[in-house]
Order: sequence, then structure tokens, then C-alpha cells
Amino acid sequence: MCERALAQWDEPASPVRRTAAELARPSPPAPTSYRPLQRVAMHEDVLRLLFEEYEEHRRTERGEEETGWILLGRRDVDQATVMATLPAGANRDAGEAHVQFDSTVQVVASRIVRQKDRRLVLLGIVHTHPGSLRHPSDGDYRGDIEWISQLRGEEGIFGIGTADGKFADGTAALRQPRPNLQALQQLSFAWYSLKRGDRNYVPIPIEVIAGPDLAAPLRSVWKAIESHAPRLERLARQQAKVQFDIVDGALLEVIVPLAESSNAVRVLLSEKEVKYYLVRDGVLAADLYEPCVDRGVYRLLAELAGD
Amino acid sequence: MDFRPLSEVERRQLVTALRGNADTGIALLMDRCTTSFLGTAEADEVPDEEVINAIKSVPCHY
Repeated sequence: MCERALAQWDEPASPVRRTAAELARPSPPAPTSYRPLQRVAMHEDVLRLLFEEYEEHRRTERGEEETGWILLGRRDVDQATVMATLPAGANRDAGEAHVQFDSTVQVVASRIVRQKDRRLVLLGIVHTHPGSLRHPSDGDYRGDIEWISQLRGEEGIFGIGTADGKFADGTAALRQPRPNLQALQQLSFAWYSLKRGDRNYVPIPIEVIAGPDLAAPLRSVWKAIESHAPRLERLARQQAKVQFDIVDGALLEVIVPLAESSNAVRVLLSEKEVKYYLVRDGVLAADLYEPCVDRGVYRLLAELAGD
Repeated sequence: MDFRPLSEVERRQLVTALRGNADTGIALLMDRCTTSFLGTAEADEVPDEEVINAIKSVPCHY
């Protein structure tokens, strides 16, 4: 009913009626005016995690492949603050010359991170190059120049990671050889911005400020998120009030509120295990074996509907 | 009372705010004198769909 009323509000003053698919299209962002980025700040734990995970990636059997992260944070009128990173995911499609992120796991992870701060937006992309090319490639430009139209201000932040050791000085200190470059031992990240109409990426200085990576806690349950991502995403789309949490730093918790205040279906997930609970006058374990989390939740809801 | 039609921008802002109210309970602000729409209590909030669509369309990088 409400959706139908809103859809009618959305109708332009025109006799032409739009299709359901057109009506389902999300509204455009609030018409805030943005100016080109003048300043990019990055929480220091974001940068630390990028270096750590890049180094870890190089030690894996897929270490020769490209990898990457998406950057989440706040976009203000002419500045951005990078506050969280989400990795490409184990199910990424990657080789020595390309990387396509696993968007399903990143979407679920973004929902979890944004529960605490719904002002976070997607700010840009970091990816690595195997050699010493510290600049996005022509192929990157062709995709990015189209993609940035979806970002606030139609401008994105792009980082290139390399591991050629050019800036290594034998110490373990983080260095900034150039305003748009950070280096730590063998690794470095170079930073650029790209906005609509640009013919090329523009080097952009990064200012490192104190602050956490808001997505760091997700790393402890990342395998659980990956293992159940498609079904968690279905559940989140179908149940508007579903909440996620991390329990004991090891389990992903999914909470589906029930109609009665303070009652809920609670699910604890690890990579290979799913346990269901009913929160009603205490916590009761449900006698249910169902590895597909969305199906398990709906089976429980169906049983409760019969009470 | 001002009964003029909403401009396109005002209409969009109102529809977005009503969707936010229906989906997540974001409070709508009303002018106490004229009852006109003033915005939302959490105007900085970004809709999930905006972020999700951007994530899903990240291009391949080379």
C-alpha cells in the first residue's frame, strides 16, 4: 500500500505511465552539490590493513594475481575521508593482469558496516599491479570513467598497489616519498582521483589521520560471510529489519526481529555451521538443521506463525 | 498558506524522504507554522541501494 502510494508520488505530471521496473529504480542521490576533491583523508588503520592484507596476499598461492579492495567512507562537499576497506573476496575472478571483485560478499559486508554509520558511501577502488606500473592502466580508465557516474560528486578515488620494492629503505617505517604515494618496505600505494570528463587520473595527496578501519572487525568472520553471502543478501533484501553482529569475534550473528517487541529469531553462523535460536522469554535453541540460512529462518518463522 | 506545486527537486526530496520513512523509519521534519516539508532528521544518510548498486557495478581492473 505504502509502496503504491509512493510510486504515485513518484509519477511525473505526465499522462505517460511508467512500468513497474522503472518505478522500482532507486531514487537518485540527494541533490547535494559536490565540488572536485581537494582533500582526501584516510584513517591510519585503513592504510595499515591495506599493507597487511597486500603482504598476506603475496604469501598465498594466488600471490601472483592482482587483488584489490573497495573503499568506504564519508564524502563531503570537496573532501573525502576513507574509513573502511572491504577485500576483493576469495571468489574474485583474478589473474596476473586483471581482477574482478566478488560483489556479493562485498554487498553483504557493506550492509554490516553501514549498520553503524549509514552515511558511509563507496568512495573508490584499490587494486594491485604485478610489476612497477604505479598508475591505472588504459583498461582501468575505460571502466572507471563510466563507473564514477554512480559515485557522489561523480568522482572516485583510485589506488594502485605495487610490490617492486622501489621505495624500500631497509626500515619498517611507513614513508611518503611523494604526496600521493605511501610506501612500507617492498610495498607501495599510489593514489589518484578521477572525475567525470577527466582525460586521465589526477594524482591526489592522501592525508593519514588517526582512526579505525570500520570494517576490520569483519575480517574475523569473513569466511562465514563469504560462505553464506548470497543467502544473507536475499534475507537482507526480504527482511528490512534484519541486523548483523559479530559474537565473540568468531561468529556472525543474524537477528530477525519478530512482531512482538524484544522477540527475535537469532542465527549464529560460522563458515560451515548454522545454529538457530528463538529469543522469547530467554534464548531457546531451535531443533533445526538447515545449512541454508534464509531457508532456516523462514522455516522457523512458519512454525512460529502456527503458534 | 502557500499551495504552490512542488518543484521537481522538492518533489524528489520528499519522495526520497517518504521512502526512507517507510523503509527505515527516518523521521520527517515539518515546519510547525506552515506544515511544509523541511527535510529529514538524518539527511546525511545514504540509501542502501545507492551503495549496493555502486558495488555491484565495479568494473574489472587491469
